[in-house]
Amino acid sequence: MSAASDRETPLLLRMRGITKRFPGVVALQGVSLSLRAGEVLALMGENGAGKSTLMKILGGVQLPDEGEIYVGGEQVVLSSVKDSKAQGIALIHQELMLAPNLDITSNIFLGNEGVKGGLLGPLPRARLNARAAELIAQVGLTIPVTTQVSRLTAGQMQMVEIAKALSTQARIIIMDEPTSSLASAESEQLFGIIRRLKQAGIGIIYISHRMQEVMQLADRITVLRDGGYVGELDREEASHDKVVAMMVGRELSARYFPEKRAQTASEVMLEVRDLVVPGAPSGASFSARKGEILGFSGLIGAGRSELMEAVFGVTPALSGQMKLDGKEYRPERPRDAIDAGVYLAPEDRKRHGLVLPMSVAENTSLPNVSSYAPFGWLNRKKERAVAEEGVKRLRTKTPSTEQAVVNLSGGNQQKVVLAKWLAMAPKVLILDEPTRGIDVGAKAEIYRHMADLSAQGITILMVSSDLEETIGMSDRVVVMHERRLKGVLERHELSQVAIAGLMTGREPGAGVHPPGRPGSSVEGKVVRS
Amino acid sequence: MVVALVLMCIALWSSNSDFLGASNVVNTTRQISMLGIFAVGIAFVIITGGIDLSIGSVVGLTGVIIARLSSTQTGGLGYPLWLGISAGLVAAVLVGVVQGLLITRLKLQPFIVTLGGMLLFRGVSQTIVDGGVISMGDSPLLGLASGGLLHLGRDPLIGWPLLIFAAVAALGAYVLHYTVLGRYIYAIGGNREAARYSGIDVNRVELLTYVISSGTAGIAGVCYAAYIGQMSQQVGVAYELYAIAAAVLGGCSLRGGEGTIFGILIGASIMRVIDNGINMFQIQYTDPDGVPRIWRLNPNWNWIIVGAVILVAVILDQVVHMVQAARRLREAAARKPVAGPPSSTPPVAEKSPST
Repeated sequence: MSAASDRETPLLLRMRGITKRFPGVVALQGVSLSLRAGEVLALMGENGAGKSTLMKILGGVQLPDEGEIYVGGEQVVLSSVKDSKAQGIALIHQELMLAPNLDITSNIFLGNEGVKGGLLGPLPRARLNARAAELIAQVGLTIPVTTQVSRLTAGQMQMVEIAKALSTQARIIIMDEPTSSLASAESEQLFGIIRRLKQAGIGIIYISHRMQEVMQLADRITVLRDGGYVGELDREEASHDKVVAMMVGRELSARYFPEKRAQTASEVMLEVRDLVVPGAPSGASFSARKGEILGFSGLIGAGRSELMEAVFGVTPALSGQMKLDGKEYRPERPRDAIDAGVYLAPEDRKRHGLVLPMSVAENTSLPNVSSYAPFGWLNRKKERAVAEEGVKRLRTKTPSTEQAVVNLSGGNQQKVVLAKWLAMAPKVLILDEPTRGIDVGAKAEIYRHMADLSAQGITILMVSSDLEETIGMSDRVVVMHERRLKGVLERHELSQVAIAGLMTGREPGAGVHPPGRPGSSVEGKVVRS
Repeated sequence: MVVALVLMCIALWSSNSDFLGASNVVNTTRQISMLGIFAVGIAFVIITGGIDLSIGSVVGLTGVIIARLSSTQTGGLGYPLWLGISAGLVAAVLVGVVQGLLITRLKLQPFIVTLGGMLLFRGVSQTIVDGGVISMGDSPLLGLASGGLLHLGRDPLIGWPLLIFAAVAALGAYVLHYTVLGRYIYAIGGNREAARYSGIDVNRVELLTYVISSGTAGIAGVCYAAYIGQMSQQVGVAYELYAIAAAVLGGCSLRGGEGTIFGILIGASIMRVIDNGINMFQIQYTDPDGVPRIWRLNPNWNWIIVGAVILVAVILDQVVHMVQAARRLREAAARKPVAGPPSSTPPVAEKSPST
């Protein structure tokens, strides 16, 4: 659908002058937005720009302080989730809102069973199952509707969420970072469904940090910054740089990723030999030099995080050897790894990386508390001083080191995780998805810090699903596929095509290399089982 | 668990044939029924991920109110029986409403609210009986526990408590497994946020579960008053723990989202059969002097045995879960090659035309 014909399509949704204040902050200030039938509107902005608040207002979870909302030309008040649903609005959250203990049918119709007789009305299971089967067929699922949701993959759960939205006859579907937990094949499937929904005249508000997806899907892009409306772009006039500039309020320096130093061959810091991780079919071998950033690519479930957990001692390896700085290294639990100078910043920051209700200072000292309490009592002054140094070094935005980390944005939380380990002079730093859910400006900062650390001789193992990031940051990249090491690519061999090829199971040496390098050096580094 | 229950019964019966004697069977089913009534109630709370520690005190409170109002003996006020029973049940429901409101409106933790309730209502009972005992005398209420249908000699084959339990369990099973409310209860236990975002009035449903829990404790309280006939502050002490144990043995997870009424029935039966079994179990042997003797369990071991059975049950359950999870992981790993289109090709991929 071109932008021109869009103009004639009636407006499905219009929000005007929406303002929302919370104690101490203005979350939204006079924001406007419009959506036409059969259109994908991308909503972009850094974390904290007000996207989530705006969507919560649309979903009936919060009421705006000022402003009007029109659905299909009529002004509406959305004071509850039910109101919002009644207006044909469906909200798909980033953290999927499904009950894992119930089956697909129950989840699709949850809160919307269409039963007379109130709460004590009997459930018409056969009818609901039949209807659910139709709905999931529409989103390309072919599994029994009585399957318990806890057994589905992340992608299938996403499809169930969409089926749930369709079940309410939604005309407006809001998707918040729908691809953040999907493998690329699943994302493609999702995009196909979004296009079908468009054809059916459904308007979609698509929130994402992934510029490529937005460029591929969106008809228009609305940008928010600091709770304010910045502007709107048609797809034709949008470009990566333009959107990013609008989001951050300034032109990002031309180079998003820090300059790479020429890698001088330095000594090996971590050597892993035939490491067998529970669930892996064979051993993995790789080595990382001092000051090197070694990337790990692979689809979700390729076993990257599991390998890192073995290196960090969370789930000890079944067999194999590791050498750290020339010495034998056998972590049986995280304590062993920490004592040896190997630290992990886990993928799920909020669950494994931080104790959210504790302060910045307390989180920073956590792995090493005993060193702050030489005689049994905790030296809070020293704890604060170290935390403050970390805050200054990484430029963490926090009112004080006494602030609970739960109140910080994703990017700043990640900085606290980094500061925690930097306070302890790491040898090897494992970063699992270091920039997931972090906005563009903060990403660039994290990248800069990573480059600094590697310049100081710290070895970084970086697991990332973002190919651009992997290529931009890594000195070399290990590619995994189905819990096996598939190959190691040198810096000059890095390309999206090369990595994606190995990632999806192509054998190394089968056309992944640039011409003129047949049977390249990769061959020799591949681990054969 | 069903298997465990059957094995336990067989073992007891073979050690002491009186286990299946008419009076023991009638007595044990009565005990199972009275526990089962409020175990069904607490299951509603536990499945939403909550807990109700006050039900033992509610059992006692209901009984004490009935005794105080309707007993014609010392300490009783001699009002009609129906008034005492109604007042007791109303009190039980009110306890549920108040606790439920505190939990859902003020967002207090269920553990704390009902712990407070447990102590408070125990104290109220103590005050009502003035620290003593009120006898029900020969009130017709006693017939509720001893009477029933299909008399077999002195004992009724189907006692009233069993009938009440059957009704409560049937109603509970219908609500939990076949109505919208039941679906909401499971959804809240599985993912509270998802339930909220699905437009479910989570507060209202949770409030209802606490009322159901307290209400069934009230019904059980009426039965216990009839059964014991002598009401003191001691009636119902620690019953909430029996009910929670029955629910857990019956497959409820304290994290919420799991459990069935049939499971509760089994769990309550196990708890009561153990209790009964400690008295019944015996080994007959002849000592070296040729004198026939009977070895019995030491009654002081009661709590040791109950505690051990609960721990063994949950340990076995957890082990089974871990084995299943490991097997699923292995199966998933074996199935994996189907995931990505290009990867579905076997190791001969190098020979296949690249796309």
